[in-house]
Amino acid sequence: MTDLTLFDLPHLFGYQFFQFALLGGIITAFACAWIGFFLILRKEAMLGDGIAHTAFGGIALGLLLEVNPVLTALAVSVLAVLGISYLRKRGLAQSDAAIAVMLALGFSGGLIIVSVAGGFNVELLSYLFGSVLTIDGTDLLVVALLGLATLVFLGLFHKEMLSITFDEESSRLMGIPVGALSTAFNVLVAVTIALSIKVIGIILVVALLVLPGLTALQLNLSFRATTLTAVAVGVTSMLAGILMSAVYHVATSGVIVFTAAGFFVFAAAYRRAGA
Amino acid sequence: MTTADTTEIRARRPHVPAVRAEGLTVKREGETAIANASFTIDQGEYVGIVGPNGGGKTTLLLSLLGLLPRSEGSIHLFGEPIDSFHQWNRIAYVAQDALSFDQHFPLTVRELVALGRLGPHTLGRRLRAPDWKSVDDALAVMDLTSLAYRRIGHLSGGQKQRVFVAKALVRNPSLLLLDEPVTGVDAHTQEKFYRKLSDLNVRRGITVAVVSHDLAAVFCRMSSVMCVNREVHMAAITEDLEPNDILKKVYGEHFHFVFHRHQCQGVFGRD
Repeated sequence: MTDLTLFDLPHLFGYQFFQFALLGGIITAFACAWIGFFLILRKEAMLGDGIAHTAFGGIALGLLLEVNPVLTALAVSVLAVLGISYLRKRGLAQSDAAIAVMLALGFSGGLIIVSVAGGFNVELLSYLFGSVLTIDGTDLLVVALLGLATLVFLGLFHKEMLSITFDEESSRLMGIPVGALSTAFNVLVAVTIALSIKVIGIILVVALLVLPGLTALQLNLSFRATTLTAVAVGVTSMLAGILMSAVYHVATSGVIVFTAAGFFVFAAAYRRAGA
Repeated sequence: MTTADTTEIRARRPHVPAVRAEGLTVKREGETAIANASFTIDQGEYVGIVGPNGGGKTTLLLSLLGLLPRSEGSIHLFGEPIDSFHQWNRIAYVAQDALSFDQHFPLTVRELVALGRLGPHTLGRRLRAPDWKSVDDALAVMDLTSLAYRRIGHLSGGQKQRVFVAKALVRNPSLLLLDEPVTGVDAHTQEKFYRKLSDLNVRRGITVAVVSHDLAAVFCRMSSVMCVNREVHMAAITEDLEPNDILKKVYGEHFHFVFHRHQCQGVFGRD
């Protein structure tokens, strides 16, 4: 792939690794942008970052036990989300403090495992920063299944999630199962982060969660249009990242984040010019 | 429409009261907020709930909605004990802080009003054509059609007030409870708002109970007044009612409300 130019792109689509990367990337970007948009509106963007860092412990555990690290990361992230909810509900810690505690616990758990095992540095790097072009069939299957869970949930309950996000009390009064849906949503934040690990890595996934929604919010659109715009920005950034890294060998996640940040800057400038 | 017409329409309402409370006592943070209250709100009434700040008006509404536990006494809603009541879709509520939402929240008027249609029966399905028809009807009733696609953060205080009532109306409620949603609304807009509620009450037969500090609006427009300050006193507003007799019970002996019924013909024209 070293001497490719943009003109070789059509040729690239013939390769299975490239098809896997595109499919996995699109599913990930879709789920991240949609879940992340709700996280922003719920003022919980840092929950995404906290869970992603906690997932590091799960990845190390997976590598140690020689299980697919995405699955162990998923288990640890879900536990972390439930732990954060527990700390909040019991009044043991405020939201941000609870996230900080879980983040530190998960990350240091990972550090201990890595130091004890004394190896797998190269492999670990691919989970920290993502490596979308090396996705294999099993990875893609995991991404597709987890992505499907997230997208089906949001597809079915996005109006209820909107109602809860806008006004929890009145949603409860209208008979919407607020507690159950909020817990399911939090678990799906963990699921979305787990499915993003191979694609963008745990360090930068928060950008894919937050930037698309934040960009769309600048445009003063309806809820529906804002959601669609966020998803479009996420998917476009993802495609830009994959194409650039396949052709020019630049870090995929870096390009994804810069593209999304570029969209945000344009949208913010547009808003300022319009205001 | 004359007062006599209005009274006659109200008289034709069903006999089961919308709300009946007996010996109701509600505690909040250990303090008795409502003590031994007994009252009845008949269907078709337009009740103004008045009383000093911190007197328990919000507490009373929340307990009627089953959102606060009661220490003693009973509440019946549409003839059913509140504990076994399940027709919550017949009751709509606009909270005191409804208007203090995040002004940048990406929602249009029509999208927000549509949220009023949600409930256990719409879980996991899309809103259908009849749902959207109710939404558009409610927008029309509250004179919001031209603002349907406007972002909610861009509305004036009075418009927001009407949007939240429209959101309540799409549930086709029999009882509408409003907890003083008046933030940033001028007197003229406020009067138009009470007139609109009056319309809903008389023309659509919706029982309305609204917390208000506007005593003139209450005594000019509404059919009953409920005075709340730990105790609850209720009276029908008739030509014979001397407002100060009941108001003094909750505002204290030194309170005096200057009120002449002919004021209602001017600013508060009964129509």
